[in-house]
Amino acid sequence: MRNKTIRHLSLVLALMLFAGVLAACNNGSGGSTQGSEQGGASESKGEKVTLQFYMLGDAPKDLPVIESEINKLAEADLNVNVKFNYTSWTDWDQKYKLLLSSGQPIDLIFTADWTFYQSYAKKGAFLPLDEMLPTAAPALKAHVPEDMWNAVKINDKIYTVPSTWIEYVTEGIAYREDLREKYNLPKPESLETLEAYLEGIKANEPNMIPIADSNANHTHGIRQLTSKLVNTAGQLPYGLDIMYDSPSTVSSYWGSAQHLEDLKTYKRWMDKGFFPKNVLNVKDTSNSLLQNGKAAVVLSGENPNKFNADVIKVQSTHPDWKLAYFPYPNAKGFAQPVHPIHNGFAIPRSSKNPEKALAFYEKLVTDKRYNWLTEYGVEGKNFEVDNGYYKMVGDAQTNGFPREGMNGWAWRNPEFMLYDKTFDDVLTMFEDLDKIKKPDIFTGFAEDWTPYQAEKAALEQVEKQYLYPLNVGLVADVEAGLNTFMEKAKQAGLEKIQAEYTKQWQEYLKSAGIQ
Amino acid sequence: MNTPMNTHTRTNTRLRDSEFTFMFQLIAYSVIIILSIMCLLPFLLILSGSFSSNESIVRDGYHLFPTDFSLEGYKMVFTFPTKVLKAYGVTVFTTVVGTTLGLFLITMAGFVLQRKDFKYRNTFSFFIYFTTLFGGGLVPWYIMLANYFNLMDTYTVLIFPGLMTPFLIILMKNFIRSAVPDELIESAKIDGANDFRIYFSIVLKLAMPGIATVGLFLALGYWNDWFTSSLFINNPDMYQLQFYLYNTMNTITFIDQMAIGTGITLSQDVPTESTKMAMAIVVTGPILFLYPFVQRYFVKGLTIGAVKG
Repeated sequence: MRNKTIRHLSLVLALMLFAGVLAACNNGSGGSTQGSEQGGASESKGEKVTLQFYMLGDAPKDLPVIESEINKLAEADLNVNVKFNYTSWTDWDQKYKLLLSSGQPIDLIFTADWTFYQSYAKKGAFLPLDEMLPTAAPALKAHVPEDMWNAVKINDKIYTVPSTWIEYVTEGIAYREDLREKYNLPKPESLETLEAYLEGIKANEPNMIPIADSNANHTHGIRQLTSKLVNTAGQLPYGLDIMYDSPSTVSSYWGSAQHLEDLKTYKRWMDKGFFPKNVLNVKDTSNSLLQNGKAAVVLSGENPNKFNADVIKVQSTHPDWKLAYFPYPNAKGFAQPVHPIHNGFAIPRSSKNPEKALAFYEKLVTDKRYNWLTEYGVEGKNFEVDNGYYKMVGDAQTNGFPREGMNGWAWRNPEFMLYDKTFDDVLTMFEDLDKIKKPDIFTGFAEDWTPYQAEKAALEQVEKQYLYPLNVGLVADVEAGLNTFMEKAKQAGLEKIQAEYTKQWQEYLKSAGIQ
Repeated sequence: MNTPMNTHTRTNTRLRDSEFTFMFQLIAYSVIIILSIMCLLPFLLILSGSFSSNESIVRDGYHLFPTDFSLEGYKMVFTFPTKVLKAYGVTVFTTVVGTTLGLFLITMAGFVLQRKDFKYRNTFSFFIYFTTLFGGGLVPWYIMLANYFNLMDTYTVLIFPGLMTPFLIILMKNFIRSAVPDELIESAKIDGANDFRIYFSIVLKLAMPGIATVGLFLALGYWNDWFTSSLFINNPDMYQLQFYLYNTMNTITFIDQMAIGTGITLSQDVPTESTKMAMAIVVTGPILFLYPFVQRYFVKGLTIGAVKG
């Protein structure tokens, strides 16, 4: 009898445990499913809804504090609550795709050219905002200039709210100025002077690696230095060349005489010992190599902002060193500020409360209380305003919300922006670049690679296997190596890709009215 | 050799046998020793890296013994002890609960599927086996868990998907089939035991080595899981330890590769080389200590499965 009870008890317990785990702590999900189903009720506040807000990257430590502060404001103003979600940088691109394709309720999501805003918008992942803007967010509509609204249009519809702060992410050469002075080397401002500088470093500092770039990234920098490419950073995809002055002419850089010459240059550099022998396997970031004095030059990825961060870091660890910078736009003769697409926020198709989301986003951009909370944290606790400059309270270790800790690049508002004192140098660089400003005609182009998806994947493999070693001069016979690469690339479908890309590009030029 | 054997050669062969044994052992031991060293060296590198100063790692690379001894890596890891400890807590919780529950479910399933008197056992087995051949893919799986079960940001989502693996069910089925003879079950039935009684008092006890093996598989799976966190957890307080670590590493890679064209500057501090190494040590530590204790069952379990088919 007693045995039976115990047996039954244990069975019931096991089942309860199982059910308990299944139902465990169901918190924080499906918040916006309780949203009001009635669209167009933007006049009355309606019942309270929770907006799901998605941003890339990692959440700052004090996010819960900020979230509750924002919710106090938003509840009073709009009768909404917001849940800020962060994807983290792990597989962010895959997650981004899942968020947009799974149909889970999301009200606001970050967009950029590098998150493929153009192709997602083309595929209909976002809601068009044209009709909603004047009613739901009139102040926001007025805040963003008309030409920016036009610039983010895809198929004549606005799908994202662009950021109005103008910045440059053009690249340049970051190098050790103190060593240059010490050994009396030329300033690296062209291919020849760069080589002379690197030679001097190699001869005088045998323990240093002259070039810090890993993964054959230096090629991106060199292309920016020696040609007037239409894009602001790196190279064009699929080995194509489009020059800014003649955008309608598309040629293949891969396999050209210029390409061969460049590869021979890299081979010469390898022979002179400008790269470490294991350059393709280096895992250190180029910045850390520069900051720690292991390398002398960084050729790719150094935009004004990043260079400034390097300078600050080196000043604190090695005050006797000096870094200098040569922006590629000076070699090109023009600089393109970031395209409005570069930072924006869109409303996915799965949103249950698009009007409310837009109204909230308007607050985020145009209301100083919201803006400062989400860009700089709580005043007095996370930051102070010192002579109009931003000043962090404590240091990065103790402060739970560093400047722009929520990765709020998209809702920066030039009127409210606070800069760190160290940022003055970047602003000066921006002013210099402003003098040679030309509009970005490349980023508005939305590439659609569905027609050559398989070829694209195959080509990427070929590139890694045959072109990377050429780029770092690890192939003895450059000409034969290039021929092999071209042959393999053609087998992978290079010509089809290039033809299709060219066709799409020409169509874009026609529709945008660019000659 | 097909030569007829006489006594003379037999003594010779015996001698040669022992020589041969000795040679074999010599070769076997040296191969094992070399392999063990190859497994140990990377770990030693990590250990010494975690005790080196970051500057020295970037400047002269890794050494088997720290050239410039420092504890800064560990200091960094434990500046935010709450984060690491929270992640630890989550991982320990999911591992314990997931393994216990999973073992219950898998042994029950295995027991039922191997019962000869269960009419639909082949149909069920086929359904389970079928999923190993044809999966729905990532997107349907994600939609299922996120939208239909509403499991975003719950502890359930960290435990539930890994509870029953087809492979482990099939393994368990074969274990039970070999460890528990049908006659035993029949005689228990004649003595008046019901199915649950048989399961609890006979099957669970006889299948212990198998349970230890499957349990270790499950526990390792839960301990090393980061993918579920990556997809379904937005709240940093609920990250599993492995994902917490992996994510820190990925942030660095992202900054290096993506930031080139994006012009993004991230405000958070990037962990240094020595911090990464210290983290790796902190993460693998507990499992390293646990392994020797479970290993003995593990070996037994595998051989039982091997000998009796």
